[in-house]
Amino acid sequence: MNAKRKTTKQRHQPAQFLDRELSWLEFNARVLGEALQPELPPLERLKFLSIVSSNLDEFFMVRVAAVRSRPETATSLAGMMPAETLQAISERVRDTIAQQYKCLLEDLLPAISTRVKFSRPAEHNATQRQFVHDLFRNEIFPTLTPLKIGANAKLTFGRNLILHILFELTPAGRPDEQAQMAVVPVPGSLDRFCNLPVDDKSYCCTLIEDIIIDNAAALFPGYEITDHLVWRVTRDADPGVDEERDEDFVAAMAEMLVRRQHGGPVRLETDTGSGPLLQKLQAMTNLRPRDTYLIPGPIDLKPFVKLAFLPGLDSLRQKPWQPQQPRDIPKNTDIFELLQDRDALIHLPYESFDPIIQLLSQAAADEHVLAIKITLYRTSGDSPIIDALACAAVNGKQVTAVVELKARFDEEQNIGWVDKLQRVGVIVIYGIAELKIHSKACMIVRRERSGIQRYVHLGTGNYNDRTARLYSDLGLLTTNEQITYETALFFNSITGYSSVPGLRHLAMAPVALKSKVISLIRRESERTNHHDPGSIMAKLNSLADPDVIEVLYEASQAGVRIQLNIRGVCQLVPGVKGLSDNIRVVSIVDGFLEHSRILCVRNGGAEELYLSSADWMPRNLEHRVELMFPVEQDNLKRRLVDLLELYFSDNTNSHELQSDGTWIRQSPKRGRQVRAQERLCQSALQHTESLKTSSHKKFTVRRGPPS
Amino acid sequence: MHKKPTRKKAIELVAVIDIGSSAIRMVVAEMHGPGSWKVIDGADQPVGLGRDVFLSGTITRASATQTLQILQAFLEQIAGWQIKPENITAIGTSALREAQNRDMFVDKIALRTGLEISIIEGVEANRLTYIAVRNALRMVRPGFSRANSVIIEVGGGSTEVMLLHAGRMVAAHTLNTGTVRLETEIKTVTGFGGYLERFLREHVRSTLETLDTEFKLKRVKTFVAVGGDARLAAHEVGREIADAYHVVDKAAFEKFLRRLQSMSTDECVQRLHISYADAEALVPGLLIYLNFMDDTSATEMIVPTVSIRDGVLLGLSQGTDEFKEEFNSQIIASAISLGNKYGFDEAHGRQTAKLALQIFDHLQSEHGLDAHRRLLLEVAALVHDIGRFVNARDHHRHSEYVVANSEIFGLHENELNVVSNVVRFHRSSPPNKSHICFMGLSTEDRIVVTKLAAILRIADALDRGHQSRIRKIELESFGDELSIRCHPHGDLAGERMALVTCSQMFEDLFGMKIVPE
Repeated sequence: MNAKRKTTKQRHQPAQFLDRELSWLEFNARVLGEALQPELPPLERLKFLSIVSSNLDEFFMVRVAAVRSRPETATSLAGMMPAETLQAISERVRDTIAQQYKCLLEDLLPAISTRVKFSRPAEHNATQRQFVHDLFRNEIFPTLTPLKIGANAKLTFGRNLILHILFELTPAGRPDEQAQMAVVPVPGSLDRFCNLPVDDKSYCCTLIEDIIIDNAAALFPGYEITDHLVWRVTRDADPGVDEERDEDFVAAMAEMLVRRQHGGPVRLETDTGSGPLLQKLQAMTNLRPRDTYLIPGPIDLKPFVKLAFLPGLDSLRQKPWQPQQPRDIPKNTDIFELLQDRDALIHLPYESFDPIIQLLSQAAADEHVLAIKITLYRTSGDSPIIDALACAAVNGKQVTAVVELKARFDEEQNIGWVDKLQRVGVIVIYGIAELKIHSKACMIVRRERSGIQRYVHLGTGNYNDRTARLYSDLGLLTTNEQITYETALFFNSITGYSSVPGLRHLAMAPVALKSKVISLIRRESERTNHHDPGSIMAKLNSLADPDVIEVLYEASQAGVRIQLNIRGVCQLVPGVKGLSDNIRVVSIVDGFLEHSRILCVRNGGAEELYLSSADWMPRNLEHRVELMFPVEQDNLKRRLVDLLELYFSDNTNSHELQSDGTWIRQSPKRGRQVRAQERLCQSALQHTESLKTSSHKKFTVRRGPPS
Repeated sequence: MHKKPTRKKAIELVAVIDIGSSAIRMVVAEMHGPGSWKVIDGADQPVGLGRDVFLSGTITRASATQTLQILQAFLEQIAGWQIKPENITAIGTSALREAQNRDMFVDKIALRTGLEISIIEGVEANRLTYIAVRNALRMVRPGFSRANSVIIEVGGGSTEVMLLHAGRMVAAHTLNTGTVRLETEIKTVTGFGGYLERFLREHVRSTLETLDTEFKLKRVKTFVAVGGDARLAAHEVGREIADAYHVVDKAAFEKFLRRLQSMSTDECVQRLHISYADAEALVPGLLIYLNFMDDTSATEMIVPTVSIRDGVLLGLSQGTDEFKEEFNSQIIASAISLGNKYGFDEAHGRQTAKLALQIFDHLQSEHGLDAHRRLLLEVAALVHDIGRFVNARDHHRHSEYVVANSEIFGLHENELNVVSNVVRFHRSSPPNKSHICFMGLSTEDRIVVTKLAAILRIADALDRGHQSRIRKIELESFGDELSIRCHPHGDLAGERMALVTCSQMFEDLFGMKIVPE
């Protein structure tokens, strides 16, 4: 397998691929681009700024660490040596940071200053000073652990992603003596912002590190503080990190929670406070200037996202979106009944996740339901889904939950709800060795008068009621016999009842999904001609599989029109003459995280539509359990095609990938603005509205005198 | 797509577990009525039982443990369907059948899981395959019931072959050749790949020659292949017809096989998305099919989407009743085919059988035997003189061992033993304790044999001249007398003489005196 991969890589031409890390950085730059949009409310912009920071943290921990661990001469798919890549990353990140802080300091903080003010200790009034003093003495001081360090120390003391303050100390009254150094980690348990007492309803915040610095004298009695520097280090999240890992850092990171404290440093960030201390710190880390970033403001903007949710600031943010009743599932219907003769599509977060919860709760209490099977990947413990499953088990149904512990975010909490499920008799399957189960499927088996009926939900996103409000995902509810039967076989294989089945309607990774995708693209190449050109439309989070990219190039050159909507990494180079003339790549970055994966192939007019949990990356296609499933009902196919086309016509939040790897933001030309996410919200609302009015249009005709 | 049968009765669910030589498989089906069901769940897990048994004769402890774990998992899965224990059927085929420690193994499984495994004999496997194929092709390929055809099922440890002439069963054999067995044998002999084909050719040649004497294989145009390997090939290079079966052109099949032969096991696994166990068995399996196909005139292979589990399901759905009559006629056809092989006097056989059945039916209340025993009598009557092929003297003894060592489609080993004993005692001394074969039967079977042999003697006597002179007989019982009125074509002197010498055993047994009129 590995040997095969290597030969595959040699086969590919470097010029035909964009670099994965740089492509990812471009994605983060697009996120930053949203923060720079003046028409957005300031707190929405602040959210994007904060996402840029947390994205970068994860990028350094996983991707940069992986590049650093590559042999010096090992070129990437795009033909870059590790040193070249690292240099390019460093330059791009510096650029991002500069824009990010310029935006924060010059735009956003002033824009919100009437309601949220940041003040440095020097600006505090007497009341505030007293408040801070008390706070420090009672709550902060007891949690601090200063550590003295020698001049030749190695940076083994800096904990990953935690803010630290380095102090230079001189014995009080003896300025000639050798200065010493001490480091104080800022405890993660403390809030980054302290709310100071103010007279009106606004907020006044001070950063915790400023408070510590201001009161540091109490930490070092007998010493005088002569210099200080705020800094933090980022470590390799996994010293043996997998080359194939991608930008889905959240998952990657979660896996590494335990090990990451031991990884070597990959990035150093400091404030601009002290040059000499910076040099000393650099010497301790073995990091080059390339890996050191001077931050022109508060280090780590992740906590700033909290500001966006402070109460009373509604005028500074958008009204939160309320998911609407799915158009395929009228309110107060029996979903079992509804699905007898038709499929239903749910488009999150425009449409509500509630029907899924309703379906599971109904199943839990339904005497005819025999069994429920579900894959759970990152589900919160207090989720209504877990409650429904537990309830079903208590009611005597066979409930099987395939839990992906490799996705644990908070181990203890996770084990808590797994225990809870097991106690009530749920069969808990802890995934498959070496393969992460990333597919999202749920199956309810019900004994009805006419026989066994299976209700299946297949989706592109997790069964998580929280992300269901933030991620755009699609889910199909169906009783289609072929799909439900194969879903049953799929469950049998991932629960260990059966070996891997041969499936015809569903495609399962790592077994057959990739070859299915490739054969669908190839079929398009074979069928295309001048009179009836083929067409492929796909929406993905990432495109990084060299084999898939190659067949897309072939299809392009065969004359197939290819439109790709790729949120994040895209290693395909579009619009190159003789290679990819017919390929267009756009990316949508907006308030909801684009997460659904859709594939539409024209197939000579007999259009086929597929949804999937998998991105087209080697990791998803070859090292994970994923599903791709067809949508066969005509109206739903139409809806998906419309959706894809809407994304391609977006001209406010869409960027188009150029053949040099840069992305250009689209802007409305002459015509109207098209903002896909906004249109989708409107259309969901319109549907709700139409229901309200249509209920009045129903006449109750009397055929007899009213009694 | 959303078709829903509307039925009022609560639908029953059944599970069938099949413990084979390379895998354990399970299906859950919803029973809709006789001959009609829908498979709603299935699972399979590879297991090395065949490898164990064909190499060392016994199931190793590791495989036993693995089997137990798989069965426990299946039972957990079945529990999710809330299926009653009596609706779970577990069968074991060749590997289990041949394992020296099978009784202990079956007992252990029963103790640990409560699952009673029934071991399926070759002939039963033949029967199950036949009814499954017949049921699958009934509607979609009506011509099948009149065709000259071969049905072949290649399994891990055995290959079932059935030969049908104009839809009549002329031969049914269980060969000791299967994919796992072949692979195991070859590995112990040599690692050289090309060897497989030669080895296989040698191996099946004698079977092919035997088949050819039973019916000229060149006259066979319909070639039906059952089994996982055939299904896989059909899926890859065949065309599907009416959801019930695939048709594969011989040329395409050969091409596919050659391509596979040039691939490593790893490549097979990658390209065809199958398990290693399946990939290893694939080439030997397809070669067996091809070897048989080469000797027929078939240009295409019919691969029904059925397995032995469908045969079991058909039985569970009471769907076999419909086939009962046809099935019985296939048993008779197979017996006649056996007779023909030994140049028997078919007219005499049929005449004897006709008369014997008439006597059997008349005496129903005297002997109290069921329809199945009636069938055994019919078979015995047909082939009772078969030993004349060896020598007319003591031909009843020759008939006995020929029958005992032949295969008659649809008859189990113990049923065949009953038939061979009935044949043995159709003349000469009645059974006693010195007859070892007879003593080897169960008490119940000994009584059956005695009753049937007594009846057969009378019927045989009534056609002593082998001229079928009696058109018809009328039977009447008067107290302890049985009067037989014959409607002859000619002189019955010989038959009357024979009755006198042959009726002793009958008269002693039934306490009735034969009175010819």
